[in-house]
Amino acid sequence: MTSTAQELHPALTLEPGRTILELHGLEKRYPGTHALKPVNLAFKAGEIHAIVGENGAGKSTLIKLLTGVMPRTSGDVIWEGKPAALATPHEAMALGINAVHQEVVLCRHLTVAANMFLGEEDSRFGILQQRAMVRQAQKIIDDLGFDLPAHVMLGDLTIGQQQLIAAARATVRGTKFLIFDEPTAYLTRKEADQLFTLIRRLKVEGVTIIYISHRMEEVFELADRVSVLRDGTLVGTRNIAETNDAELVKMMINRSIEQVYHKEHFTPGATIVEARNLSGKGFENVSMSVRAGEIVGLYGLIGAGRSEFVTTLYGRHRKSGGQILWEGKEVKVNSEHDAIRLGMALAPESRRDQGLCLNLSVGLNLNLPIYKRISSNLLISRAQEKAQADRQIADLRIKTPTRSALASSLSGGNQQKIVIGKWLAHGGKLFIFDEPTVGVDVGTKAEIYRLFGALLSKGAGIILISSYLPEVYELADTLHVFRRGKLVATHGFRTADHEEILTQALAEKQEGPGGQI
Amino acid sequence: MSTEAIPAERPKRNYNALFGLTLLALLVLLWIILSVATPSFASANNISNLLRQGSMIAILAVGQTFVIITGGIDLSVGAVVGFATVIVAMLINAGIPVFLAILITLLVGVAIGMFHGFGIVKMGLPPFIITLATLTSLRGIGLLMTNGNSISINNDAFQTFSRSSFIGVPNLFWMVILVGIPAYIFLHHSRWGRYLFSVGSNAEASRLSGVNVQRTIYMAYTLSGLCAAFVGVLLASRIGIGNPTQAEGWELQAIASSVIGGTSLFGAVGSVHGPLLGAFILATINNGANLLNVNAFWQRIITGVLIIVIVYFDGLRRRGK
Repeated sequence: MTSTAQELHPALTLEPGRTILELHGLEKRYPGTHALKPVNLAFKAGEIHAIVGENGAGKSTLIKLLTGVMPRTSGDVIWEGKPAALATPHEAMALGINAVHQEVVLCRHLTVAANMFLGEEDSRFGILQQRAMVRQAQKIIDDLGFDLPAHVMLGDLTIGQQQLIAAARATVRGTKFLIFDEPTAYLTRKEADQLFTLIRRLKVEGVTIIYISHRMEEVFELADRVSVLRDGTLVGTRNIAETNDAELVKMMINRSIEQVYHKEHFTPGATIVEARNLSGKGFENVSMSVRAGEIVGLYGLIGAGRSEFVTTLYGRHRKSGGQILWEGKEVKVNSEHDAIRLGMALAPESRRDQGLCLNLSVGLNLNLPIYKRISSNLLISRAQEKAQADRQIADLRIKTPTRSALASSLSGGNQQKIVIGKWLAHGGKLFIFDEPTVGVDVGTKAEIYRLFGALLSKGAGIILISSYLPEVYELADTLHVFRRGKLVATHGFRTADHEEILTQALAEKQEGPGGQI
Repeated sequence: MSTEAIPAERPKRNYNALFGLTLLALLVLLWIILSVATPSFASANNISNLLRQGSMIAILAVGQTFVIITGGIDLSVGAVVGFATVIVAMLINAGIPVFLAILITLLVGVAIGMFHGFGIVKMGLPPFIITLATLTSLRGIGLLMTNGNSISINNDAFQTFSRSSFIGVPNLFWMVILVGIPAYIFLHHSRWGRYLFSVGSNAEASRLSGVNVQRTIYMAYTLSGLCAAFVGVLLASRIGIGNPTQAEGWELQAIASSVIGGTSLFGAVGSVHGPLLGAFILATINNGANLLNVNAFWQRIITGVLIIVIVYFDGLRRRGK
């Protein structure tokens, strides 16, 4: 699908548009860190400008400065020829600078229409013109070709659909400069395509787009130019037609792309876990097994039943039928507790909602599964608690000032290392990683993949769930494809091509909005 | 457990200690001002009195803090105190040995706490609702049991306890220490203490990490009920009667003490020493205002303003960090 999209939309040649925004020596210092070293960059009206870089490279800082969320330390910003202070989000919005964030920041309990007009409601004599707003919102949504209702609660939509609404919302507010921060992290392929259509449309209308993503193929599909940040420094800007994957990755991490997917092959040992005709909420009749030393990949769209399958295996949800066999014997897994006792470990899909206690320390998060081990008679050994946390921080190279820093203060990639890291100390025989690299930069990805190898070498088995095909394709020894709650196909390591797997995941017939069940 | 802090831990340590110190400094400052302003404040008699006044709220605040750390709230504690005075009075008057009467009363507190846990975990009720329901119905049950009358306790030994002192310190204050030290060890040095914080921060993440979330919630409310029943016993001993309408509004004083002591109502932030200091700051203000002949109505207003000021500055400092 990626390739066809590229054929339909060949890299658009750059027109000499006028400059809309210039950054002169834009800089940000925090106490102790130099988050953004002086950046000089000019954005042209109507260009799609991708910004790539590892987590912590300064992308978020740049966005926060441009949207007025934080004040800059020094440097000048010239907006349409005039200096701009960009001291408050309000000022940025008044100029026409808007952002769509990776996590949807809208009100889940209001309708789609109410969200679209939030803060700019249409009212007559103080009475909200609700019906008119719904009509208007519906028209905007229909125009964009999204096929979503305007009168339902935002929370009733999938995350991907909410993301589309957030994007649509940003476009109706006189936006001239729109920043997308990892917008496709939670989108299905179809939703992503709809979003890309929207972005291209905005471009034609002369809106400048900044597009931040870790997914290289999206950058090449969409962008006119791409800028690379590394360690707070702007490494360079390239016209998309004059660069390639390898060059960008090299600029980002000073490392070649082959080193990212580092696959070690082990001879599979005994079967660790086997699901026989397992059914539950969101999936049915799934049979598969995992052996020691192998990675079993589960590929499919978001909502295809992969996460539901593993959470049921893990005892979070009740199974409605079928059997779970652990090392050849049938077992009952009624709770996470049972699963952990057997030797399972789950790094869940959403860091924020399921993975981390954000307002607690890094150390506590890392130690959470092993408190039983580092305490005797309920009393914790403080010395062990500290030693364990520090060892994990060092082993996983988690970038944090101290183990007592709050988890929320870390970058996404480092947070993900905690989610994974807390299970390494605990140990286990079966590790389940659900979307372990969403919103994680290339460098951290490589580190996470290397951890997989270390686990396998110790005789563990891994279930790897990913919506990013190259990831499961390059890493999984056995690849299962899920579609609408069913396991529809199984492949060995690199035995099928991308096209075939994609077709199996997407199904032959056209799907409903978002391809969700 | 007793190992010294390695440098990396220091920032947070200092920060927590600093907040404890600021509160302690505030308390000492209040004491100095009041000693200068009124001749009677610094008298041994008044200080004992002050410690007695603050003690019971302090113990309630500790139990309340456990609950608030999990992200909940326990509105029932005042009613539990009143109810416990009735239970312990009836049991003692029925001729049951004091020791046994106290034990049974404490078990009643545990049962009430378990019921709250049940309502939250099994019935899915919000903590605010289930404890509000207990608040009103417990007062009703107590009134039914006593026909609305006070029960005088016929046991001198039971009553002398709360009026006596041990090495110059009122027994009631010793009770704060008796509760405070195990509570401190529990919250800051035990696995379950860590689980209270983790559940308050993110219950789902805790569950997936193998923490027994339900048991943790049961435990928090049970401890709060236990503390409240214990305070009920102390109150019955102090005033010598059992009356279900006692301790009206104490739940709010306990919550206020906890919040002044740095506990976050959003959960996952709190300590044991904070609420203790908070309770004695409130007690000092009331005591001082009485000595200064400040209108009792004004006392309430001052308390309210103080809560806002202290919590506001605490919030500023946190954000500033």
